[in-house]
Amino acid sequence: MIKKTPAFILLVLLAIGTLAAAEPAYDFFVCANINRNYVIGSKIVTTNGVFQRDAAGEWKHLGYNDTGISAVAFDPRDRNVIYTSALNGLWRSLDGGKLWRMCNDWDMTESRDVAVDPNAPDHVYLALPDGVAFSSDRAQTLVRRENGLPARGKYTQVVQVDRTRAGRVLAGCELGVYLTEDAALHWRQVLPTKEMVFDIQQSPHDPLVWLAVTQSVGAWRSLDGGLSWKQLAAVPTTHPLYNITFDVTNPQRLAIGSWGLGALTSEDGGQTWTDRNAGLPAPHRVWRVGVDPVGQLYASVVAETLFVSSDFGRTWKPDSLAGSVVNKFLIQPKSAH
Amino acid sequence: MNRAFISVFFLLFSALFVSAQPACEGPPPSTVPVLDPVKRRAEYLARVDEVINWAADGGQAKTDDPAKLDLAMIASKIVLREDLHGCSQRVINLMSDPGTGPFWMFPTVCIAYLGRDHLTPEALASIRTAWRTTRQLRGDTENHWAMYYISLYLMAELYPNEPAESWYSGKSSSENLAEARSYLIYWMDLATSVGQGEFNPTHYIGEYVIPLQFLANWAKDPAMKKRGAMMLDWLFADLAANTLNGVLRGPNARTDEGSAIERWQAMASYFSWLLFGNTPPTSGYGGWGLYFAPLAKNYEVPEVIYRIATDRTGDHLQRDRARVRRFWRYSDELSPPVYKTNYLRRDYAVGSTRGGLMDAIQAHVWDVTWAEADPRGKHNTMFSLHPLSSMQALESMFVTYPEPMIKGVTFEGKPSYDSPDKIVGSSPYERVCQDLDTVIALYDIPAGTRFPHINGFFSKDLVNVTEDKSGWIFAQGGQAYLAYRPLAPYHWEKYLHYTSGWAKVRRDLGGSLLVSPHLKNGTIVQAASASEFKDFAAFKAAINALPLLFTLEPTPSVQFTSLRGKQLSFAFDQVLTVDGRAIDYSKWKLFEGPYLNSEIGSRKLTITHGRLERVLDFNTLTVTDRVR
Repeated sequence: MIKKTPAFILLVLLAIGTLAAAEPAYDFFVCANINRNYVIGSKIVTTNGVFQRDAAGEWKHLGYNDTGISAVAFDPRDRNVIYTSALNGLWRSLDGGKLWRMCNDWDMTESRDVAVDPNAPDHVYLALPDGVAFSSDRAQTLVRRENGLPARGKYTQVVQVDRTRAGRVLAGCELGVYLTEDAALHWRQVLPTKEMVFDIQQSPHDPLVWLAVTQSVGAWRSLDGGLSWKQLAAVPTTHPLYNITFDVTNPQRLAIGSWGLGALTSEDGGQTWTDRNAGLPAPHRVWRVGVDPVGQLYASVVAETLFVSSDFGRTWKPDSLAGSVVNKFLIQPKSAH
Repeated sequence: MNRAFISVFFLLFSALFVSAQPACEGPPPSTVPVLDPVKRRAEYLARVDEVINWAADGGQAKTDDPAKLDLAMIASKIVLREDLHGCSQRVINLMSDPGTGPFWMFPTVCIAYLGRDHLTPEALASIRTAWRTTRQLRGDTENHWAMYYISLYLMAELYPNEPAESWYSGKSSSENLAEARSYLIYWMDLATSVGQGEFNPTHYIGEYVIPLQFLANWAKDPAMKKRGAMMLDWLFADLAANTLNGVLRGPNARTDEGSAIERWQAMASYFSWLLFGNTPPTSGYGGWGLYFAPLAKNYEVPEVIYRIATDRTGDHLQRDRARVRRFWRYSDELSPPVYKTNYLRRDYAVGSTRGGLMDAIQAHVWDVTWAEADPRGKHNTMFSLHPLSSMQALESMFVTYPEPMIKGVTFEGKPSYDSPDKIVGSSPYERVCQDLDTVIALYDIPAGTRFPHINGFFSKDLVNVTEDKSGWIFAQGGQAYLAYRPLAPYHWEKYLHYTSGWAKVRRDLGGSLLVSPHLKNGTIVQAASASEFKDFAAFKAAINALPLLFTLEPTPSVQFTSLRGKQLSFAFDQVLTVDGRAIDYSKWKLFEGPYLNSEIGSRKLTITHGRLERVLDFNTLTVTDRVR
């Protein structure tokens, strides 16, 4: 019996390990609005907001039905702590989405993005149409931290926290990419633009690699943690690019979503790009692309539905969330909670 | 039979048939001011009753079946103490499927307060529950926020000391109250020191004055109550000074196609009718306007404001400041100033801003409008504009991406935004100046701009439209003679009208567009009263005799001696000079004219008419009346 116990435990551990290896290390969320022609004053008749892809491949609604959710973030210590960026500003739930608090006052509105610092999880960053707000207490209080951002031109569409160092954040603004290394106390411009920076992403494979897409000057890559940037020459500059994504399963695979260009992919780390609109309904108005934890590519096609591709854009099939516009794909390391 | 008698007759007749809208459907009311205060008040109360009775009788639904009532009808029934049990049941039913935003919030506040002592506890509890369970969207415009925060303020006062989890916002009653109070004071300070962002709105006036009236009546805090009452006077004084026979004139921060061409077709007309009795109300009493009526008897229209609206002894020139509501991006300023001019005479009015980009979708920059004995159905206006349809303009004002919003807004109540023949909107490629009844609008449109032309609106109600060999186009609208000078070649197109914000098809209501497909362009309009001339020919001769020099290259510029003998010199992106003196806009006041006066930053408005004066002082929260 005694001799058998270690073998049994080993078998159990092996089985658990096998299961763990088969199960992706990430969870996958979207912020989807299914609110065609909703205007302030009309009734919300559809379910909108945050959805999580469950193990069966279904989208499970999470939290509140809000038509204006632009982004979602979680406390890495506790998945029940949820932040959403929405028309009213920042909302926070501490109980997995049952009760919510509108965190900002009237002096902040229409936030565009929210991010939590994984190395300082009480720290929350909020992208606003007129700057950036910061919280050091899980959004119980919010203050503006805009020193170094331009007086005009600080419309901020995206905030991304560097997962390797607390307080290091990149912001995509009207006039370029801005970097802070002291939790937004000071910002400096690291990539100037004349029009919007719409998205910034850090590589899940190499934290020094960052990508950004813009309204009028195409896509850019940084290989030094966002300090310097070089344009991706093969990405067209003819149309605004709305977002860019990595594939957590393959460092060579990237995708871009664009209203004018549709879905573009690269499978050589950004050297060449391919139009992947065949199979998507025309016109290929792709609002966002995302890649799930097992490498499936998604495209949110405006006024159509979510489309999914298991061969990185070569073929597409319609997914659920008909009529949706996905504002955010979020891939998140699995939480213990 | 004089018009006043006809109006009284219709009021009496209407009492027998309350489901009709007598004031809306009957002859136009008299525009003669009622100087007897008792009679004036009685007529005001009669108008209020007309609205309440109509709404309580089912309004547009034409039914008093409680199961079909909306909250406006319920509000009126509560006022009349009719079928309160049925109203309670209907409230419970309606609250089971709550709305989400300021347009739902203020009606429910209205019912919550009006019904406090009349609806069942279950009905009142259903409202309270909805305010816990349903997230309320704050919206993204100044009128949204006025409705949202006044509603939140009043509900937080009605249900004090309740915990955060009992409100949709996740904030306690005191937190909600503090936030709402803070915003409302901020907004009032802004509006009374540098002007409104949504100035002179044709429709949105209701979205301000209705909740403000709630605040004035129901706020427990005396200071907030006072602020509500004073803002009502402020906005109604502004309305009075910018109307001619009850119809709002001149530029608007936000309007729509219907109001732009048929100036009477606006919620502002409902308020003119209700307060001043000098124009018919619009159909359905302005829709939202029904929510003003239940408390309207608590409002005493100040005589000085009434007289400004109705008792005009001469021409008046009002020059005001306002502001662009907000540019998030692609602008050096968040909220640039707007300089407004409105010149009103017995027969017509001329109004303008300086042009440039204001509201990207709904601004109305300038026009000449004329008086009509009955303004209903009359397209009593003339203007030109560059029909801007621009991704960047929309991006500047909204948190949107470049491409989707152009088409998107056409499905969201602004159907003409991307139409080349539209007649609403501002443009960064337009510059306007005005001196009395002369307007010069110049256009410098960059090559490659979507819709590289300008549109001039020529109404179906113009008569004697004459394309003179001199280059002037002459016309008559009502008792106004009009001269329109296009500065570049043009052609005519039929004007097709979106009859509502949700219209899918366009209708030919008559009227034409002067379309001038030239990037460097301009319009001069000179108005005059027919009574100033022996006949139309004399007017034409007078205009043709006026010295005019203009050039379009490289920059449009005009030198014109107006009918009033002023030598006007104006070039695109330059300041107008009048008789050699440049207009100094830095010295413009918040309000300056015979009726309204206020210094920038003062938070104080002096309202005058003859010897009457009322001073609204937001610094001290005092209202001072005197007879000078």
